[in-house]
Amino acid sequence: MVNIQELRTMDYKIVVIGSHHAIIQSIIDFDYLTGKLQPSISAIIAGGRKFERYFWGNEEVMIPVFPSLGKLPADLQQTVTLFANVSSGRRVLAYTQEVLQLPSILGGVVFAEDVPEEHALSLYRKAESLHKFILGPASVGLLIPTSLKLGAIGGVDYRQLIDSHLFTEGNIAVFSASGGMTNEIIRIVALQNKRLSFALAFGGDRFPILQPKDAFRIAQQDPSTEGIVYFGELGGTDEYALADMIKSGEVTKPVVAYIAGAISDYFEEPPQFGHAKAMAKNKDESAKIKAQTLREAGAQVAESFDEFVKLIASLPEKSLTEKEYTTQIKELSQRHHALIATSVSADKNGVATLLGENLLTFAQNSSFAAIVSSMFLGKKIKSTELESCIDFILRLLVDHGPYVSGAVNTIVTARAGRDLPSALASGLLTIGPRFGGAINQAASNWLTGVTKEMRSVDFVEDFAKKRTYIAGIGHKKYRVDMPDPRVTEILAFVDNLEKKRFTTFARSTEQLTVHKKGNLILNVDGAIACVLLDILSEKEDYSDDQLQELVDIEFFNTLFVLSRSVGFIAHYLDQKRLDEGLFRLPDTLVADVRRK
Amino acid sequence: MARVKLSELTAKKLLHNYLEIPYAGTDSPNSLDPSKKYVVKVDEGIKKRMKQGLVAVNVSVDEISPFVQQLHNKGYTNIIIEEFVPHENSQEKYLAIERVREGFKIFYSDTGGIEIEESGNIHEEIVHAENETEETAKIEQVLGVPQLFISQIMGVMNTYHFSFLEINPLVVQDQNVYILDLAVEVDTAGSFFVDNAWGPQDYRYGHIKDKTEEENNIEDLVSKSQASFKFVPLNMNGSIFLLLSGGGASIVIADEVANLGKGDTLANYGEYSGNPNEEETYIYTKNLLSYMQKSTSEKKVLIIAGGVANFTDVKKTFLGVIRAIEEISDSMKQSEVKVYVRRGGPNQVEGLALMKEFLEKKGLYGQVSGPDIVLTEIVREAIKHVE
Repeated sequence: MVNIQELRTMDYKIVVIGSHHAIIQSIIDFDYLTGKLQPSISAIIAGGRKFERYFWGNEEVMIPVFPSLGKLPADLQQTVTLFANVSSGRRVLAYTQEVLQLPSILGGVVFAEDVPEEHALSLYRKAESLHKFILGPASVGLLIPTSLKLGAIGGVDYRQLIDSHLFTEGNIAVFSASGGMTNEIIRIVALQNKRLSFALAFGGDRFPILQPKDAFRIAQQDPSTEGIVYFGELGGTDEYALADMIKSGEVTKPVVAYIAGAISDYFEEPPQFGHAKAMAKNKDESAKIKAQTLREAGAQVAESFDEFVKLIASLPEKSLTEKEYTTQIKELSQRHHALIATSVSADKNGVATLLGENLLTFAQNSSFAAIVSSMFLGKKIKSTELESCIDFILRLLVDHGPYVSGAVNTIVTARAGRDLPSALASGLLTIGPRFGGAINQAASNWLTGVTKEMRSVDFVEDFAKKRTYIAGIGHKKYRVDMPDPRVTEILAFVDNLEKKRFTTFARSTEQLTVHKKGNLILNVDGAIACVLLDILSEKEDYSDDQLQELVDIEFFNTLFVLSRSVGFIAHYLDQKRLDEGLFRLPDTLVADVRRK
Repeated sequence: MARVKLSELTAKKLLHNYLEIPYAGTDSPNSLDPSKKYVVKVDEGIKKRMKQGLVAVNVSVDEISPFVQQLHNKGYTNIIIEEFVPHENSQEKYLAIERVREGFKIFYSDTGGIEIEESGNIHEEIVHAENETEETAKIEQVLGVPQLFISQIMGVMNTYHFSFLEINPLVVQDQNVYILDLAVEVDTAGSFFVDNAWGPQDYRYGHIKDKTEEENNIEDLVSKSQASFKFVPLNMNGSIFLLLSGGGASIVIADEVANLGKGDTLANYGEYSGNPNEEETYIYTKNLLSYMQKSTSEKKVLIIAGGVANFTDVKKTFLGVIRAIEEISDSMKQSEVKVYVRRGGPNQVEGLALMKEFLEKKGLYGQVSGPDIVLTEIVREAIKHVE
């Protein structure tokens, strides 16, 4: 059951399942206008992108997006308290069942229409047994002025929120099956110079999971509520339960109501109105009889909508102190989408910052390796292990002779008389799957092997079947009996680590491959990959999903690109100094292989 | 949508198949066995068919075609033909199951037949799941059918998203159970989950009616859209035309027409909701206007109204409405139609201004208001125009 008072005071976190830009923006606008320090939405579950951009005031913020609830980071899994499920009716059952399992979840709202009755009822049973609340299906949500907007309720345009005075706490509770009428009545309450204690929509389906009788109980228990406004429609028998509650004294707060559907009498056959429940099959479900029953129980039930408005006006008064929102309206009306989003650096009011820190101080206090690795990872590194390892790698990869493809291209370009950026670019453009780009592929290999808990023997066999070589394994000159001294040095960086999952996996893979051929040893690329993975995992607290993201964005190739640029530049300058003239291959070095 | 009646033939095929009982019902009078006797019934979801002469019992093959022809002439296109089951009246039982919040509500009686509703002899039990329980044991005793049969029916209801099922009569002869007449309502939201076992072609509406062209066009629109559209003609020559938005607010506005004693001049009930796009509101409005133009009433008024929308974009939907009105605005002006508008929601300021300017330019302006007036006030204003 919902405890409104608890929700008023708690610091909750919302996960939105599915993406509905207007609804999400309106929740964030509500948070902003209530003066919260940050959006209450912590995550969105949707496919495609990693972030969605929303306005916080008139600046943009990034809300993280995850492909499934299972992919929520562990801390969010533990702390998410409310959900708004805006996915389609077909997916509601599975997603809602899953979100109810999160340890701190109190409940949420299901927005979709067209949720099968059977699914709604199984969610109803689940919610009952777990003591969670679910509004819906087909509910626009729950609104508590100054505290919570969970769903489209109250509108999706910030001007609507301000016009309906949703930032002042009042004493009137509003309930309706209809989302539109919930909002209409919220507006009427505001026009009568009254304010809401809270409002919620049950949704127009036959089996709303949170029922009108539950809402009445919640309102009766809520200390702020002094009057209840109920909008009902023909169809269903919920009003009989409400009448019983009023008669028995379970609900003592004044109730004003309107039951729509008198028009039904003009139809030849009982019509199905817009909401699935809105069809009166028999007299008991007709608007007229239900209104009469409520009236006899002691509720004030309007004969017409005008009278309904008057009854709302007659509910208890509460003195109000209200804030002005003119500055916020001006601010929010001047929103512009940024053309680019960045988290690396900024230059505002003459102060340059890197990762949020003053550039000068950062530069004075950090080594080059620390700055490079922090910027490449997008956040300041924590460990000296990573710093010293990256420092060594940057030094080690700086050059490997003029014979390699990238150096040759740089030299050829320099000798053709081109400038420094052209020669450097020509060398860099050579870097790819066969030259210099193997570290990232090796990292991908080790990560896959470890996270899928593969045995090295199966791992090697997979590559043999595909007839592809294993990136990170194999060297032209060095062999098992003549180890590469660089690899030995690189591997030393994990000596003091605890788990070394990736290095261990890479070494056990090497043990199998060297049996096939003596030169199939762990090479420099493979060693850098596994060492970096282990340090990031153990000293920088990267989760396996985060490591996968680094592989996806090609982080592991950055060190080669950066370091080898030094070598390319050196070759360019060297060629210019030697002034050798245009390069041309002698005829003898070109083979004519035309087919006879 | 919601609960809709399902074709008896489709429902019977699904039910028998699930129960593993052979069933030879068909909708075709061809290839029947001349040595057998048959029952022919209209399959339109109509109640009390027997009393209306829509059933022929115990007929031979050569009697079937003339009867079917007779039904076709009356406008009934869907029929069901099954083998006749000779039985005693005393073997007729009644069983109905409805999906309710607690599980299933079972209505049953040891005396079935067409007078069942008047007999007052129906028992009720609530069963929480499709297992065999104390309640199903009681039912077994009264009906003489095994408990498994009851729980299997609840199983079929869950599998195929049936919300309601009524067998009357259910004929029990020793070990054999015959399902003679079957009425089923499905939950249309379940259609995605039943693997094409049933679909819109199997829906029955309890009546046959020549639908207006506009109704057919709007049904077509409904089948292709995420948003929802309702259009019910009430009085072909009425003078008050409704183009409403939002499930609840639409009923309130229609109620107000009735409250003001103008229910008999109400031409239609019409409503859209669920944020339709501009093109969809254009098509919908076009059909509503086409229906309006056919009315012979001398004075006509169009009420475009709705509550304060949560997420339906007022401006976007109005653009479609305006486009449709524009196409026939001259003829509307000539017949002195006035348009009354009351709406709120996202982009209401822009949407209402656009509408006001357009109606004024075309000479159709009655009134355009936002949420500052009470929802139903626009109805009172509009009615003045046709009085």
